[in-house]
Amino acid sequence: MSTRITIPIGPQHPLLKEPLSFMITVEGERVVDSALRLGYVHRGIERLCQTKTYVQNLHLFERVCGICSHVHTTAYCQGVEALLGLEVPLRGLYLRTLLCELERVHSHLLWLGVLGENIGFQTIFMYAWRDREIALDIMEELSGGRVTHSGNVIGGVRIDVGDAQFSSIVSRLNDLEQRVEKLLGVIQHERTLRVRTQGIGYLSPEEIRRYCVVGPVARASGVDVDLRRDCKYAAYGRLHVNVALAHEGDVWARTLVRAREAIESLRLCRQLLVGLPEGPTRVRAPRRVPPGEVVSRAEAPRGELLYYIRSDGSDKPARVKIRTPTLTSLITVHDQLEGVETADVSVVLSGIDLCIACVDR
Amino acid sequence: MSQPWLRRVVRWARRRSPWVMHYNSGGCNGCDIEILDLLTPRYDVERLGILKEASPRHADILLCSGPVTRQSRDRLRRIYEQMPAPKWVLAIGSCACSGGVFAGGYNVEGGVDQLLPVDVYVPGCPCRPEAMIDGILTLLEQVQ
Amino acid sequence: MNIPRILELLQEVLPAARLEVQTVPIDEHFISLPPDNLHAAVRALLERSDVYHLSTITGQDLDGQIELLYHFWQGGGLTLRTGLPRDRARIETITDLIPGASFYEREIAEMLGVTFLGHPDPQPLFLPEDWEGDPPLRREFALPEEREEGE
Repeated sequence: MSTRITIPIGPQHPLLKEPLSFMITVEGERVVDSALRLGYVHRGIERLCQTKTYVQNLHLFERVCGICSHVHTTAYCQGVEALLGLEVPLRGLYLRTLLCELERVHSHLLWLGVLGENIGFQTIFMYAWRDREIALDIMEELSGGRVTHSGNVIGGVRIDVGDAQFSSIVSRLNDLEQRVEKLLGVIQHERTLRVRTQGIGYLSPEEIRRYCVVGPVARASGVDVDLRRDCKYAAYGRLHVNVALAHEGDVWARTLVRAREAIESLRLCRQLLVGLPEGPTRVRAPRRVPPGEVVSRAEAPRGELLYYIRSDGSDKPARVKIRTPTLTSLITVHDQLEGVETADVSVVLSGIDLCIACVDR
Repeated sequence: MSQPWLRRVVRWARRRSPWVMHYNSGGCNGCDIEILDLLTPRYDVERLGILKEASPRHADILLCSGPVTRQSRDRLRRIYEQMPAPKWVLAIGSCACSGGVFAGGYNVEGGVDQLLPVDVYVPGCPCRPEAMIDGILTLLEQVQ
Repeated sequence: MNIPRILELLQEVLPAARLEVQTVPIDEHFISLPPDNLHAAVRALLERSDVYHLSTITGQDLDGQIELLYHFWQGGGLTLRTGLPRDRARIETITDLIPGASFYEREIAEMLGVTFLGHPDPQPLFLPEDWEGDPPLRREFALPEEREEGE
């Protein structure tokens, strides 16, 4: 007679980089049920932002998440600029997009390292994070910050690229591209990684649609949606984005999709730098925003990021609603974990690319 | 531990191999990925004897980031109680020092020192890895 | 996204409602509906148009009512807007049509005090278990600093 045991994972667990609570019920070695508890990182940002001005909120929204901080302010600034009727100069849009893509590279390399660590492949963790430092160096050269850049302002960007910086950044990009290609080679040929991730955490395209999943998890199941190509926000209207797709729908497919996206992002970075137009990087923005509402979307490293902003004519927003992409993947965890062996729970949780700070806000 | 030579050895070992445990009490993850960065080849704190432990029962130093949300409060206290004495707490990042940008939120206590005795405050938003290493070494200099 | 076609479809399903499209940045179209018609409208979208992706549900406390915005996206943005009375904020759940709406409805339930009738798991999502007091996004709720200023 087998008994059921409930194993708590989190809020403090070596597997989880952020506090989150899973209660996994196992029978023998198989998971039969799971429950999720969120809220450990809930800071009440949506309520707090109503007490701060639009400019102060730039600093607040950048800190919703440390990994994807720039794309949060991109979506926010886009929305406020639309309410103000501002047109960001092209150079500003290019630089904004450049930071977005660099952030995507750093986020995917971070994820790759975390996946490696969680399946016991420490070498990938060390290599991926070592190479990720180059992306952080480029972002630091552009903005002064490794992780949180404060690159966006309402009306454009506050960063700029001079000639000396240009050549230094391009040479670093070349170096990084070679290293990421090598990592992709390791992923594709290393049998242990493939064996541990293939067939785990399968989500069908039908499930993706029903749960409204976004991002690399959706693309790994063959759902062809990428807001960079479909919404053409920031400077993406002037770029051709090759969307990485896979059809296996498991963690292996998600690994391939993210690795290919990282390489594509590096290519886009080079294109943005080489084609950087002359001109100003920002326009002046008034303090008070006329009454209105806006829905702003961006493609964060984990998928569709949505900002709904309502203004009431004052210098403080009346309502800002943030919907982050990881929330859509978390709904599927219960289905993904069913019937999975205990040792593979770490693979499933890694495959989603958790960003709990984004989810809880 | 009556013999003075034994006490000297223990003190030497304690200063040369501080084992740290990291807990995120509700931060944005910026400081946390920089803490993880300490293990990676560029900063490589293992050469300084710092090992990142998974269990609080094996750790000497608690690296705490985040503004301490209400849900994290009890877990943080329990983790601190699980650590064997002597133990120290570093507040990593502006949020852990004072609540940072989130101070005033309805679910946020505002800084680790609202709950635990903090030995070293390492500000920054996010805190740079160099500053964290400096913080740990500052603490170790004071260890008797 | 073919907005005129969608408007036609919704008008067909809800002949009594007077539907209008409001264009909102960025590439978004808002259609206002009475709350009783929302479930039928979502069903019509899912069964008879190519719209299926619900980005999220926003809730906000406006004067006199709690407004819910159901943001859809299919090549362009479509938002269904509906308002609930503040003292009786109840609406039928859409999780039977879109299981992915579960977390969004739970969040609005705890943040604004809305009841989603028929929700499979109406538990708080982000707030602590021992939360006492008004839902945080309601006007009555004041942050600690706001309470101090008021005193």
